[in-house]
Amino acid sequence: MTTTPDLTPWITLQGVRKGFRIGTETVPVFSGLDLTIPRGDFVAIMGPSGSGKSTLLNMLAGIDSPDGGTLQIGGARLDSMGESARSAWRAHNMGIVFQFYNLLPMLTAAENVELPLLLKPIAAGDRRARVEKVLELVGLAGRGRQYPALMSGGQQQRVGIARAIVTDPALLLCDEPTGDLDRKSADDVLDMLRFLNRELGKTIVMVTHDPQAATHARRTLHLDKGQFVEERKAA
Amino acid sequence: MGYFRLARRNAWRKPLRTVLLMLCVAIAFLIHGLTASFEQGNMAAGSASDDVLGVASAAGRGQSLPMAHLSRLAAEPGIAAVSWMTRLRGYAVRESNIVAISAVDPATMVQVSGTELGLTPVLMAALATGRDRVLVGRTLAEVQGWRVGQRITVTVPATPNKEGSRDWRFEIAGIFEGASPASDTHFVIARYDYVNALRTRGTDRVEAFVLRPAPGIKAADLARQIDALFANSAAPTRTQSEKQFLQAFMRQYADVGLIIDLVVGAAFVTLLMIVINTQMLAVRERRFEIGVLKTLGFSQGRLLALVLGETLFIFLTGGLAGLALAKLATVMIGPGLGLVLPVQTLGVALVLILGLGLATGLIPAIRAMRIPVTAAFRTR
Repeated sequence: MTTTPDLTPWITLQGVRKGFRIGTETVPVFSGLDLTIPRGDFVAIMGPSGSGKSTLLNMLAGIDSPDGGTLQIGGARLDSMGESARSAWRAHNMGIVFQFYNLLPMLTAAENVELPLLLKPIAAGDRRARVEKVLELVGLAGRGRQYPALMSGGQQQRVGIARAIVTDPALLLCDEPTGDLDRKSADDVLDMLRFLNRELGKTIVMVTHDPQAATHARRTLHLDKGQFVEERKAA
Repeated sequence: MGYFRLARRNAWRKPLRTVLLMLCVAIAFLIHGLTASFEQGNMAAGSASDDVLGVASAAGRGQSLPMAHLSRLAAEPGIAAVSWMTRLRGYAVRESNIVAISAVDPATMVQVSGTELGLTPVLMAALATGRDRVLVGRTLAEVQGWRVGQRITVTVPATPNKEGSRDWRFEIAGIFEGASPASDTHFVIARYDYVNALRTRGTDRVEAFVLRPAPGIKAADLARQIDALFANSAAPTRTQSEKQFLQAFMRQYADVGLIIDLVVGAAFVTLLMIVINTQMLAVRERRFEIGVLKTLGFSQGRLLALVLGETLFIFLTGGLAGLALAKLATVMIGPGLGLVLPVQTLGVALVLILGLGLATGLIPAIRAMRIPVTAAFRTR
């Protein structure tokens, strides 16, 4: 079954302002950014370095907060939450896929995937069952006992995706998920993200420099100097 | 994988560093265990009473007093209860295994020191079942591995008995606990009538009278009054409180308590600084991963618990190893050196381990908790 996005706005940014202090000066990144993303969408965000892609992703993830404006995801106002509330919100509603996988080296693949489940009241047996299930979903069945250092980049990124989806979040944020992979591994990862969007209905926001990666998204937004300058929908 | 396992995995990521930290903690608690054992075994002055007076010979330790003093003491105003005792100093099985026996009059002794020694009616009834029955202090019983009902032999070189032997045989009727964990329970309470009847030297003489002042009477005033009473007798006395007596005895060597406190204090301060510094370094090395955990949704409280759990793991493993070594030392060489490590002292040490583990982990844990995610990601 292929899902299509609901057209009701689910992620809404209105008049978002954000700047960084460098010495005594504040360098603005966004000066009134607006964005709406419906549930079930797969949006790629592209743009040159310094355009504000990572800052936008950090704000969507709740690890950075806007200086002004409103940021709402699924009815929750992230801009007015404290850090603890944002952590809890992230743990329950969001998965993040990083460019360099960011797996903990002293844990096995399965233990890395299990990490977000430690934040939920789930029995150890159920946790293990869920971990096995998602590892199978990302094509790593039977590799759970391997340590990240012994895996290829593509495999590590699949572990990263498994960790991001193990709690079954509605939203996946991907920060250059293929930036450190060869073409073949990158395509595998992108196919997987497309599967998660089309078949499981996950809303995905992906920051990327790779135009080919962006073709897997339903639409691509180009960001430049803190403003969206172009929107392209997939054919 | 639970939280504790995650903390343990973090601790073991640099095994050599963790082992060295554990060793550091183990040595500190070995020192603590041994010094606490020494204090427990040799210096019960801290728990000794100011209210119980001992009347000994003014001629010095080892000199006895005539039983005739008892009637004069009993007639003296200001005394609530008076008893008497003599001591046998011997050993069990081998000479280094020293055992002290206080031969007392049970009926009067319980009035004077029954509370401090924890002499319950059940124990006193057990002592009364036979003249050769004895009560053994808890720490001594633990060190010797003695049980109630066991027959023991104590060789007393200076006091032969009427059987022509220096071996004194007793049956353990009970074990007394003392009023508090700090009470001196490293000796045997025997019956004066039995010892007095069997000994060939010093018959009908006592090493000391012990007495409790009547309510409202100052111990120091009563001590002066008693010494004045016997000043012109054939056996003048020197009266001191139990605490004064023990403290004076220990000060013959040095202020052992102060030295012990300084040694242990220095060990712990050094330990705290080493562990705090190392854990701060560990947290600094892991800033990026802490950022990842925060991004996954780990709250500040959970990160605090994670770093504290790691420090507690190091302290518990090292501390328990140190205490185990200290206990082993007291069992193997303790009797000779008077080292005693009772369960209560181990309990206090365990609380200390947990307290120090939390205290040393707190600064690094707070630092980990406060790292902003964006700053953590910049450290890669």
